Amino acid sequence: MNIDLTKVRNIGISAHIDSGKTTLTERILYYTNRIHAIHEVRGKDGVGAKMDSMELEKERGITIASAATYTEWKGHQINIIDTPGHVDFTIEVERALRVLDGAVLILCSVGGVQSQSITVTRQMTRYKVPRIIFINKCDRTGANPARVIEQVREKLNLNAVPMQIPIGLEADLEGVVDLVRMKAIYFDGDNGEKVREEEIPDHLKDEAEAAREELLDAASMYSDELMEAALEGNATPELINEAVRRGTLALELAPVYIGSAYKNKGVQPMLDAVNAFLPSPLDIENIAYDLDNDEAEVRTTSDPDDPLVALAFKLEDGRYGQLTYIRTYQGTIKKGDTIVNSRTGKKVKVGRLVRMHADEMEDIEESHSGDIVALFGVDCASGDTFCSGGLNYSMSSMHVPEPVISLAIKPVDNKAQNNMSKALNRFTKEDPTFRTYVDEETGDTIISGMGELHLDVYIERMKREYNAEVEVGAPQVAYRETITQRAEFDYTHKKQTGGSGQFGRVAGYMEPFEEGEYEFVDQIVGGVIPREFISSCDKGFRKAMEKGSLAEAPITGVRVVINDGSSHSVDSSDVAFQQAAIGAFRQGYAKASPVLMEPIMKVSVEGPSEFQGAIMGSLNQRRGMILGTSEENDYTVVDAEVPLSEMFGYSTDLRSLTQGKAEFTMEFATYRPVPKNVAEEVIKARQKKDK
Amino acid sequence: MTNTELAGRNPLKIFSTAADGSPVDRRMGLVISRAGLGKTALLVQIALNSIISGKQVVHVSINQNLDKARAWYDDIIRDVAGKDATELIDKVNRNRLIMTFKETGFSRPKLEERLNDLVYQNIIRPAVVVVDGFIFHDACRDILADLRELAAAMDLNLWFSAVSHRDDDRRSAAGVPAPCHEVDDLFDTVILIEPEGDGSKLSLNAVKDETGSVKPGKVLSLDPTTYLVMEG
Repeated sequence: MNIDLTKVRNIGISAHIDSGKTTLTERILYYTNRIHAIHEVRGKDGVGAKMDSMELEKERGITIASAATYTEWKGHQINIIDTPGHVDFTIEVERALRVLDGAVLILCSVGGVQSQSITVTRQMTRYKVPRIIFINKCDRTGANPARVIEQVREKLNLNAVPMQIPIGLEADLEGVVDLVRMKAIYFDGDNGEKVREEEIPDHLKDEAEAAREELLDAASMYSDELMEAALEGNATPELINEAVRRGTLALELAPVYIGSAYKNKGVQPMLDAVNAFLPSPLDIENIAYDLDNDEAEVRTTSDPDDPLVALAFKLEDGRYGQLTYIRTYQGTIKKGDTIVNSRTGKKVKVGRLVRMHADEMEDIEESHSGDIVALFGVDCASGDTFCSGGLNYSMSSMHVPEPVISLAIKPVDNKAQNNMSKALNRFTKEDPTFRTYVDEETGDTIISGMGELHLDVYIERMKREYNAEVEVGAPQVAYRETITQRAEFDYTHKKQTGGSGQFGRVAGYMEPFEEGEYEFVDQIVGGVIPREFISSCDKGFRKAMEKGSLAEAPITGVRVVINDGSSHSVDSSDVAFQQAAIGAFRQGYAKASPVLMEPIMKVSVEGPSEFQGAIMGSLNQRRGMILGTSEENDYTVVDAEVPLSEMFGYSTDLRSLTQGKAEFTMEFATYRPVPKNVAEEVIKARQKKDK
Repeated sequence: MTNTELAGRNPLKIFSTAADGSPVDRRMGLVISRAGLGKTALLVQIALNSIISGKQVVHVSINQNLDKARAWYDDIIRDVAGKDATELIDKVNRNRLIMTFKETGFSRPKLEERLNDLVYQNIIRPAVVVVDGFIFHDACRDILADLRELAAAMDLNLWFSAVSHRDDDRRSAAGVPAPCHEVDDLFDTVILIEPEGDGSKLSLNAVKDETGSVKPGKVLSLDPTTYLVMEG
């Protein structure tokens, strides 16, 4: 099969939650004949929109996992990734943007530019994704596309150029005026499938002329030919489209379309714009790293005859095993091919190759560079690169944010235990921002992720898809104890309970040890403690350090020096000296001014500068130490060090404090002593628990 | 080295009190030198000196990132405080806040708003603000005059750094080199850093000082690596 790569579009649809992404995608699939009936997101017909394939998504009316789908429009092949709109799932958005060549940014004509649009725009800019804008919901009361365009310019700093003006608004929305061809467009039929072109209504002629002038001014910046033609009054649609395409691909212009997906208006012209203005795989430079050549940067060729380079960007656990979504950057992948995972070096045979249409699939024989398809039964992790023909490339690593919240979970029974392990194994493979580990101190399974909703969804999925019922605990902080001054010890362990007794005396001192967790120094001379029992002392000290006397937290940062002791020829033993060392440690520890330590996180909060005061206040309230602020283009990053124990619930607080416009990341920085009043509370809570 | 010892060897100590030992009433100070002689290091020393003497400091860094500004403090503290560095770094972290701005984003209203935020939220109450990387150009007089007013209104001590150029020999009557020669009246103290002899020392010259804390002319010789007063 020979495909024309210039007619391939890999696009993402991303925007704020509730701005109508899923509805729009549903309409696209309908108009492109991939589906034959329209279901609403929260439809009464119980079917639900095509792209919301997970039961949970249907129930909550939100899109969680991005479903990839393939369609065709006017001779172009379009791969669409429907991406989630909630900030907790941004890894999905980021991953989609990584493999896409262009995107449609949907904005609500009432809500305008909201925080998630700002985040998504930043993400798109990071991945250099050219975009067109669709202002949706123009049928809603309060719809004001002109205001949204202003906001795009001001808040998103994009050169938004209207390509249409609306014919009527709110309940009177009838259609749009195409400013390139200067025609009125109406959408007839039960589902708006019949596009009817008319002359522009008289009352809109002046407005349309003025808007077209604005469009020509903006587009002329990218074409001298258009500029000349415009001056002479004969700018053709071809010249305009070519100039707009150039500006869009250069990320300097964002063409704006309007409509209402729900009311079946304006979707087809937006699809025309995808074909006309968004890039083909040939327009985009993709860089891979050559692992055999010191990770030198290599530009992938897009040539279907070259060796294969493909990126696995999403995994899903389907009914028939693991489904791996891949984007091919060069070469061709065929059923029966053997390809190599460049991370593991493992060879993999391509068993089944499918094109995805939400949760249905179509078997195909081969897929060429630039395409997005899925593989069946291939074991890999998200972000792996597949190569063939001796290449050993890795596509640039994807930006993966660090998890910010952790919860302890406990299966309710044995069956749940097994299922939970299966589920966790799957989720961590699918989603790099979801992590899990077993806390050695508490024995709990800890899950961590990007926010409370993120973890909630996984707990729900465990229950529904894996039948793993778990109890969710309160977030735990791992405290430590340490000493702050030198203290001597001299302890004798003596036990006489019939038979051979136990005897051992250990003396020396302990002192703070900043360079590590523990150091044992043997300064015994003259064999007062026999050589064979020196390691028993070490063992005893280590055992004593497992639980401190303050909050039963592990003790770290102690150097123990033994320099005296005594033994008994019959009663001394390994156990006796271990016990003596434990006693000696406790004796010294009590005198060494022990303190409770807590994990301190480096927190970085990013949001509009207008919220800087509020952000700093919120960190200060949480015992945070503000290190600094960086301000750029009305955006501020506040860096602080904050105790982990104070960070629970912060994502929710921050969201409400900043109208959802700020985001934060945090990572472990160090352990620091807990302030006295807080330490007292922790110790009290621990004592209460022990009772 | 204790904090007191450190304060004793800090080059700017002499500027914090007048000859008779009373506190100096200074609003704006300027450190000027050719590139690479250590303006930032000197500003950091001024900040450290203030923190050690119990004041709080805001460090404004223009066109530089936060980590870089922080690294200046940590490096200088490690150089001079040795084993006690961790404790001092912690003290400095608690009493200093770094703000970075892009050149176009820095103005009196912005700084005033930010400082008020800090005070209002009870995060830090700065007595000294050091501004590193401010671009002195022909039209900066109004901004500086505004900032001087702000310093008076908020009872602040503001210190700036500026880069002079070898081939630009314009100077003010007081001897302040370009690009600050036309705004030197807005500064109470101007210090010029120059290499001394073979470059193994740096000299601090007080080109101008209206506070009476130091006589104009060469004030000190400094170790170019640690920025401490050279001993012996």
